[in-house]
Amino acid sequence: MAAPITPTATPPAASYRPAGQLDLATALETYAGPWNVRLAAHLYRRAGFGGSPDDVTRAAAAGMHAAVDGFTHFADASALPAQPQLVDDRPNRAQLQMLVAAAQQPGAASTAPDDAVAARKALGRSRVKDLVAMETWFLDRMIDSPAPLQEKMTLFWHGHFTSAYQKGIPAQALVNQNNLFRTHALGNIRDLTLAVSQDPAMLRYLDNAQNNKSHPNENYARELMELFTLGIGNYTETDVRESARAFTGWGLDRDYAFRDFPARHDNGSKTFLGRTGNFTGHDIVEIIFTQPAAAQWFAKKLLEYFVYSEPEPALVDAVAALIRKNDYNLQPVMSTVLRSNVFFSDRAYRALVKSPVEFVVGSYQLFGIKQSDLVALGALRRMGQILFVPPNVKGWDGGAAWLNSQTLLTRENFASGLMAKMGDAGWLQRQMTSTDPAAVARALTATILQGDVSASSTARLTAYVDGSGISALAALSGENADQRVRGAAYLTMAMPAYQLA
Amino acid sequence: MKRNAFLLGAVSGLAVVGHTAGFFSRALAQAAPSTGDERVLVVVYFQGGNDGLNTVVPFGLPAYYSYRPSLAVARNDVLRLNATVGLNPVLAPFKKMYDAGQVAIVQGVGYPNPDYSHFRSTAIWETAAPDKYLSTGWLGRYLDAANLPAANLFNAIAVSDVLPEVLVADRVDVAAVAQLNGYGLTSDRNKTLGRDEFHSFVQGADVPFRSPYLALVASIEDHAQRGAEELPQLVAGYKPAGTYPATPFGRSLALAAQVIGSKLGTRVLYVQLGSFDTHTTQKATQDRLLGDFADGISAFYADLAAHGSEGRVLTMTFSDFGRRVAENGSRGTDHGSAAPVFVIGGGVKGGLYGEQPALDNLDNGNLRFTTDFRSVYATVLEKWLHRPPAGIVGPGFTQLPLLA
Repeated sequence: MAAPITPTATPPAASYRPAGQLDLATALETYAGPWNVRLAAHLYRRAGFGGSPDDVTRAAAAGMHAAVDGFTHFADASALPAQPQLVDDRPNRAQLQMLVAAAQQPGAASTAPDDAVAARKALGRSRVKDLVAMETWFLDRMIDSPAPLQEKMTLFWHGHFTSAYQKGIPAQALVNQNNLFRTHALGNIRDLTLAVSQDPAMLRYLDNAQNNKSHPNENYARELMELFTLGIGNYTETDVRESARAFTGWGLDRDYAFRDFPARHDNGSKTFLGRTGNFTGHDIVEIIFTQPAAAQWFAKKLLEYFVYSEPEPALVDAVAALIRKNDYNLQPVMSTVLRSNVFFSDRAYRALVKSPVEFVVGSYQLFGIKQSDLVALGALRRMGQILFVPPNVKGWDGGAAWLNSQTLLTRENFASGLMAKMGDAGWLQRQMTSTDPAAVARALTATILQGDVSASSTARLTAYVDGSGISALAALSGENADQRVRGAAYLTMAMPAYQLA
Repeated sequence: MKRNAFLLGAVSGLAVVGHTAGFFSRALAQAAPSTGDERVLVVVYFQGGNDGLNTVVPFGLPAYYSYRPSLAVARNDVLRLNATVGLNPVLAPFKKMYDAGQVAIVQGVGYPNPDYSHFRSTAIWETAAPDKYLSTGWLGRYLDAANLPAANLFNAIAVSDVLPEVLVADRVDVAAVAQLNGYGLTSDRNKTLGRDEFHSFVQGADVPFRSPYLALVASIEDHAQRGAEELPQLVAGYKPAGTYPATPFGRSLALAAQVIGSKLGTRVLYVQLGSFDTHTTQKATQDRLLGDFADGISAFYADLAAHGSEGRVLTMTFSDFGRRVAENGSRGTDHGSAAPVFVIGGGVKGGLYGEQPALDNLDNGNLRFTTDFRSVYATVLEKWLHRPPAGIVGPGFTQLPLLA
């Protein structure tokens, strides 16, 4: 029979401590407790997408500060494709003329409906192709980037400053917006907000391209305050109307680029959040960021995304103060949060639900798979998250909203499929030659869950690998040990801990 | 999605997980705490935006023929309902149900300031919230309010791949089951894993961490696995008695009838048909889909009637929006606004309700709605589901006299 196996990763000792009252006074001070694989994996799940077992082992060896610095100082990611291969999803001149003519002369035989039909169908096919290309490109960047926090922040901003692939927005404009998020990933939030206000996809998605002095459109001005920067209760309907006037004239030129049209701009005096002047969109953004509510808004959102749900008001205040102190520069803020007591507290550990994207990307990283495929895109759809198609301007709700029978079955079936066709990561292969079922079970739960598993589940998993004691496994013989190891890896991924970040 | 449940788990710590084990061990037969006479609501979603004007055709309005030079249904082909409107002839089986008094047609249903995005307008119909972003659907809020037995895994079922927003609740987990043999764990198809084994793996008791979501994840995984295993067994004894079209929609309705006839205590089912997004060559697509609808829904009620259930099942349709009044140059129609809603079966008082929107007073080329969709929802909630509608769709919507 096979030689005795060499132990791989040693499962870390379960270090559960009853959660005490978190001391908010020292919540943002630098964590100085024990540093181990569990906390390194926690950092990787939050600041990245989970990482490979080697990533986590290295971070555990490097120490907390080096590990956090590895995230907050972005490594050079220029080797990754800067954008997907897109086909043209906008009508060309001939198609446009045909469609315009068709729209103007409804039903008239002279408009050559067959050509118009063909043009519409071709454009529909192009848009499907481009959506797949965009999703794949972003997913593959998340899987493979040497700067995981840059991609994580890009995903965060994509769900915050939402725009969706609809309303005829060209794929290229959404890719450009995504790269804008990437450029400003840990930059200045005020600068990013101004850039987003002039971003072509956003100008179309929230209708500011149609905002002019004779027909003001309030959509962007309203969402800018309600969902992007301040939150309801921190501005009035008058502020919405006045700021919409200030944004008049920011539109799109024929090449789908931002352009300030002075003739469309309302040059009258506006009163916004207590100040009066001939404001432009630029002034509105500046004034918004003088409001304490803006820092509170971003503090709460960042805490809910990176630390835990429903953060204590005092903690939100503390992070908001940090944001103001750094004049909305995010890099030092995240650098503090990611090495803080609260970030490594029991209150934060596995206290978030993995988003579908985190689940898929993390699983790919765990098994060393570099390229996503249509199976992953389909699974993401059934799990409730389509990249570039957030459900509405509020973005994805997250948390418990990711959890229902169908989304969890999809997660489990995705993991099962991944194990059926993949699973050739070295660390997994090594388990397939093992003769010690208990060691295999320990190695799997250590690598996949950092030992966050109950003793009874480990015992069950051992029996599964052994093929004994479980009637349903009678069909498995010693010859298909690889099947059992893959099956056991899948079962480990089905455990509740794996659904949690 | 059960947004509030996790707070409960957070308060009670890990204890909730232990509770589910006992819950699991109850006998299969008890999984269906049903008296068998519950009222059921079936919602049929016309995905993509069905063209209402070629569904309930205003053949008596001359403008219809000038707006639809190539797409209009010829006056003589219309299945007349009165001197002004009639049904598309592909709906002939459905017209028979109408003539038998089983169908109420509400004309011109929509909402103020229509949105022309599929995503947003569908979300508006599903959440019943045109002016804000709600994270639960209107039927999800009904399920939350209805105090249904928490132990029943099948209080509501969406016959679809993806749980539709309309059934997203705070406290009730709704299963999305596209088809019986595709629902469940793929691994179980090889029988490598028994139910008890899987159950024990996903329980979270005694794990060396605590998480406010742990109990929720464990309980939903438990629901999902048990539901996937139990549902096919629970409905296996049903003998279908309708001739359904051999289409995905026909199969979906057959599954809905099977669930209803198996008396699992299910109150709400969701079925979809599409895509109605007929920007090009509309006639072929819409005729096929409406024909599928008419054949399917008449088979569905024949099946229900053969099992004595037709009186306890109400069916209601909705879509993203109606379509633009003027056809476009591609023998299709673009996104529009108001459209008719069908309310079928149950205690319906058959006939036409609401008003056909005028064709000479359009809003940017679109119909102006004459009945707010929340009036229809409020009527169904109060008269059929016996729930006060104000807390679910908002107060003040005039109800329609279409239910006894």
